[in-house]
Amino acid sequence: MPVEAFARYLQSTSVSLFLQSQSAWLWPLSETVHFIGLALLIGATGFFDLRLLGFMKRVPLTVARQFMPLALLGFGLNLTTGILFFVAQPYQYVVNWAWWGKVAFLLVAGFNAMFFETTQGARVLAIGAGDDTPLIFKVVGALSLLAWFAVLYFGRMLPFFA
Amino acid sequence: MAFLEWLQHLPIFVTIAESGSIWGYPTILVLHTVGFVFVVGSALIVNARLLGLGRLAPLSEFGLLFPIMWAGFTVNAISGFILFAIAATAKAAQAIFWIKLSLVAMALVVTVPIARIVKGAGEHDAVPARGRVLAVMSLVAWTGAIVAGRLMAYIK
Repeated sequence: MPVEAFARYLQSTSVSLFLQSQSAWLWPLSETVHFIGLALLIGATGFFDLRLLGFMKRVPLTVARQFMPLALLGFGLNLTTGILFFVAQPYQYVVNWAWWGKVAFLLVAGFNAMFFETTQGARVLAIGAGDDTPLIFKVVGALSLLAWFAVLYFGRMLPFFA
Repeated sequence: MAFLEWLQHLPIFVTIAESGSIWGYPTILVLHTVGFVFVVGSALIVNARLLGLGRLAPLSEFGLLFPIMWAGFTVNAISGFILFAIAATAKAAQAIFWIKLSLVAMALVVTVPIARIVKGAGEHDAVPARGRVLAVMSLVAWTGAIVAGRLMAYIK
């Protein structure tokens, strides 16, 4: 498998070897940051998704969107620590199907958000206090919740599918 | 302690600890993580609102997040008890476990008056200064609980 060969190569690079040598303190720190990022990411995204689904209608959609920088902060923290985990131990991830599940649902969540921002972003302005949301908003919100909790599930299951 | 020995040797906890099934220990851990996101994710949004984010939306509308918080807390009280019970003597001997429990207790104590302020707010009420102080305390306590919880895997 070319992917496994790449993982073996990456794991032998000096960057990877350096990260491995620092794991005693780098792992606990990065895992803690990864969990804080998770709460920021799903907390803020989930709140926006619930409003997309039509809950908390007295919150205008533009106001719900003001919480999204918290989600981006969480995503940034988790992308950074996630890349760190991967560069240090790429082989154990590429041979673990839970990791592929996590990556797949990350892509679903990402494309779903990009679809919403590019095709529906302008319609957000029209959803004021008390307004229900159109069906497409509800579908995007439901898919986003499903995808992020699937990312969480496969992430938490990583040690058990090794 | 005799009680902790008895607890972790109960057949149900021995089964969960030793079954090797993904529906045993791994699923309890997943539930504990989902409950964590429900609790801390909701608390984060409420606290951010108390600290000034999204102030154009009425404060009381954020009261709808509390049922999510309490549902998550119930899941975590149960899953947390199981995770404790399957290794009771080892966990009870970890100082970091008691630190985590204290921080969770602190966060809960702060959440009760926060819920009262949010749900009792009138349509155009501003956040009282006490609400901002409680929001900071809540964020500090939950962050501390996350750090302590994660470190339980490292500091034996």
